[in-house]
Amino acid sequence: MNLDLLTVALLAGAANWAFRALPILARTDRLATVGWLERFLSATGPAAIATLFVAAVLPSLSLDLPRLLPLAAGTLAVLALWVLRRSVVLATLGGAVAHGLTVWLLG
Amino acid sequence: MRAALRIGAALTPTPRRASRARMTRTRPPFLDGLIASLPIAMGYFPIAFSFGVAATQAGFTGLEAFALSLLIYAGASQFLALALLSSGAPVLVSAFTLIAMNLRHVLYGPALMREAGAGQSKRHAWAWAWGLTDEVFGQALGALARGQRFSEGYMFGLGLGAYASWLSGTLVGAVAGGGALEGWPAVSAGLGFMLPALFLALLLSILSRRQLPVVAVAGAVTVAVTLAISATSGILLGMLAGAVAGLVRR
Repeated sequence: MNLDLLTVALLAGAANWAFRALPILARTDRLATVGWLERFLSATGPAAIATLFVAAVLPSLSLDLPRLLPLAAGTLAVLALWVLRRSVVLATLGGAVAHGLTVWLLG
Repeated sequence: MRAALRIGAALTPTPRRASRARMTRTRPPFLDGLIASLPIAMGYFPIAFSFGVAATQAGFTGLEAFALSLLIYAGASQFLALALLSSGAPVLVSAFTLIAMNLRHVLYGPALMREAGAGQSKRHAWAWAWGLTDEVFGQALGALARGQRFSEGYMFGLGLGAYASWLSGTLVGAVAGGGALEGWPAVSAGLGFMLPALFLALLLSILSRRQLPVVAVAGAVTVAVTLAISATSGILLGMLAGAVAGLVRR
């Protein structure tokens, strides 16, 4: 086992754990009663998910049709299935199937 | 999910109702979480698989690839770790670069617990919070927005399903090597779209008229900063800008 790799992994992993766990273990629920902090935290979820979606699709946004069409088909399938069934699982799987099928059809 | 909602509604402080809730409970929260982790697990596997392949191609052993997934458990950071370590970057520089990439996770726990409501048990948070990745946070938040009650068992199930998929994908990728999905480009593309599809579905599930400006600001800043600086900065600043937009009283 490469010692440098193990050191980097342990340091990065320890920081990841601290970022994910410590703010929960600290009594942040008391702080959340502060008005502005409550609004900030309630906006964090939608902001994070919107950011991650945009970051995930941004590399595929181009005028190159073989890249754009599968993205459009997948996105539309997610939207349509969400409107019809209100199911996160179904919309996700349907979007992935539509994306894969479009890639297959485009050869 | 509907069963979980029924369970959640029945769990009130009165002993008789609590007892009835135990009787009518059809699925433990851990299992609910495990089932809810399925779309994440399906999205994680191919990414972890490609990480395993990339690690072995960069000259690391299967065990080292597995150790990175086991100890870091953050996709983009792990790919960057390969590049840094194989280029001979100093250990501390590599570690701090990876640490800076995941700073956004600081916001997830408080945002989740705020949505869960006051008085929720956090006794085992030191363990389940390890699994609080972007996708697990999104899925948990979506479940709460749809009316499900917070439960540490659910968080364990959700996190464990995703983590197991990440570790097994890395292992299979490291063992199989490159080319395993080369003959199946449509399958590979479909699996690659699983996470963007999940993010979009989660966004739709928690979207409200009040949060539309938050989403618009987050999206616009992500695009602008990604194009101007880097994808990592785009994610961090997009998220912060969206959350700050939420401060504006309407």
